[in-house]
Amino acid sequence: MKVLAALSLLSLMALLALGVSGVFPRPAVPPAEDVAAEWGAKNVVATIVLGVRLWDTLFEILVYAMTMVGVKLGLRLLRWEHAIPPVRETPLLRRSADLLLGPIVVFALYVAVSGHLGPGGGFPAGAILGTALLLLALAKGVERLSAEIHEPSLEWAEYGAIVAILAVAGGLLLVGRRGSGYLIAANVLIALEVGIGAWVVLHRFASSRGEV
Amino acid sequence: MEGLAGVALAIVLAGLGFWHLIVRRNLIWKLLGLNVAASGAILFLVALAHRPGARPPIVGLGPGPSVDPLPHALVLTAIVIDFATLALALVYVIFLTEHRHTQDVDRLERDEERGWPQP
Amino acid sequence: MGAILFSALTLALAVFALTQRRLLWGVIGVGAHSLALAGVYLFLAAPDVALTQAAIGFGLVTFIYLLALRRTGKLTVVAVETPPLLHQEGQRVAGLEWEILSRFGRHLHQDVEVLWVTRAEIPRLLRAGEADIGAGGFLPQSEDGVLLSRPLVPTRIVTVRYAPGPLGAVAGDRGEDHLPADRATYEDHRELASALGAGEVGGAVTDLLHVRQWILNGEIPPVVITDHEETSFRLAVAPGEEDVHQALDAFLAKLEANGELAQLVRRYVG
Repeated sequence: MKVLAALSLLSLMALLALGVSGVFPRPAVPPAEDVAAEWGAKNVVATIVLGVRLWDTLFEILVYAMTMVGVKLGLRLLRWEHAIPPVRETPLLRRSADLLLGPIVVFALYVAVSGHLGPGGGFPAGAILGTALLLLALAKGVERLSAEIHEPSLEWAEYGAIVAILAVAGGLLLVGRRGSGYLIAANVLIALEVGIGAWVVLHRFASSRGEV
Repeated sequence: MEGLAGVALAIVLAGLGFWHLIVRRNLIWKLLGLNVAASGAILFLVALAHRPGARPPIVGLGPGPSVDPLPHALVLTAIVIDFATLALALVYVIFLTEHRHTQDVDRLERDEERGWPQP
Repeated sequence: MGAILFSALTLALAVFALTQRRLLWGVIGVGAHSLALAGVYLFLAAPDVALTQAAIGFGLVTFIYLLALRRTGKLTVVAVETPPLLHQEGQRVAGLEWEILSRFGRHLHQDVEVLWVTRAEIPRLLRAGEADIGAGGFLPQSEDGVLLSRPLVPTRIVTVRYAPGPLGAVAGDRGEDHLPADRATYEDHRELASALGAGEVGGAVTDLLHVRQWILNGEIPPVVITDHEETSFRLAVAPGEEDVHQALDAFLAKLEANGELAQLVRRYVG
């Protein structure tokens, strides 16, 4: 078993090394600035993710949403032996979480909205949003937070975000007009989708073990 | 220089993670190995996109030629998908731990051979 | 230069994480590895990828591992399945030791998780920090190197013999010490009993509780029994967990003092 593993490992590493050794020709990088200028953007990566390779991104978002549904269903089927009593809350943690939540959400929004001009975009913004909600859950307790922010309607907002992304992308494909407005809208919607998905999964994991 | 060092690091990371993925017996350790292997694969693509003295793929950010932006766009989605599949895999591990009371692969295989648990 | 430094840090953190013995340290190490990797991406002129890797690889992945581990605030028990003491009943665990362990878990406000292993693995897992308590008819052996609780149930080590042939015992069990040169060891008591039934061995060195269980189940006929020594079932605690050891001993002393332990022993063992 170990010999087989070592052999396959060595062949994998040799294959990777062969890929960069110069045996295969590497194409010259095409001038990407023109593409970015055509979309009214500065970040070429954002233009590629949301423009040239739009189908790739759309199906990736669908895979993400499907996986999150799988996690929710799987954790719902489990039955736990007994709940752990909740952690006692401290005023300092609670206060600092309340203070920090606003700036973090604004920062996530900034990362999403300015994603076509500089580093950023929908995916990191969504991750930051999910982490912010988890930080709040650490301070307040998972169940109280999910009651406060209306979890079921949040889940519907996630599905709504997917539908909106599909609608915006479909409209773009039909109309064929390219511009930075579309990039901003798509980035914000992707941030919503990724952020809410991450929060829902973290919440399910946390509540199934008792508390954070 | 940076690109070559990145490629070397990526190959070593992929090998290290893959080795632990195969040899470890505990499922969560296997997932950690998979995590490291995936980060190696991502680093491999990013390091391939790098050119000596290149600037980030953002218009107006410094002189020189730009790096290849296409691998960056590919791995951006791959990182998010890694997180999603990791969450799903952890749900399966929790299932196994709740129902079979073990995370050890050898133990699970032995139980299967012995026909335990009975339905 | 900075790129080389960050690359070395990334590799060192990955090696650190994957060579740890405690899962918690492994998870923390992989999180730090992700963060260092984000630094490498910055040097490779990929700020988008660096931002995403830092936010997801360090934030979300580490959190989801920590939540899934359920290990902080959880007692992990590695045990051998031993019918009257600790065994699986359909979906749940039952037995005398389970009553004690679940009460002890509630006493400490911790979830108790039982993982089934073989007897020889218990000391190794406890010493490696993979588990907190070893149970399931644990008879202490001199070279185990683990902490031991107060005695739970007294028993005796005996030799049963009803045919000529070599003697068998469970690997790592107390009975292994009393085996003659002509010996055979098995992974658990179920394999030992089936070897006895198949006539592979002529007898076995084990504890009185298992012999009684075999006779009750009709797996072996009532036979000649030779007595070796008095001992008792205990719980094993991982060497690093002094707090758990003291709390467990105090808890058992309380159970003994108010008579609940004797009641449990009467109910399960008789």
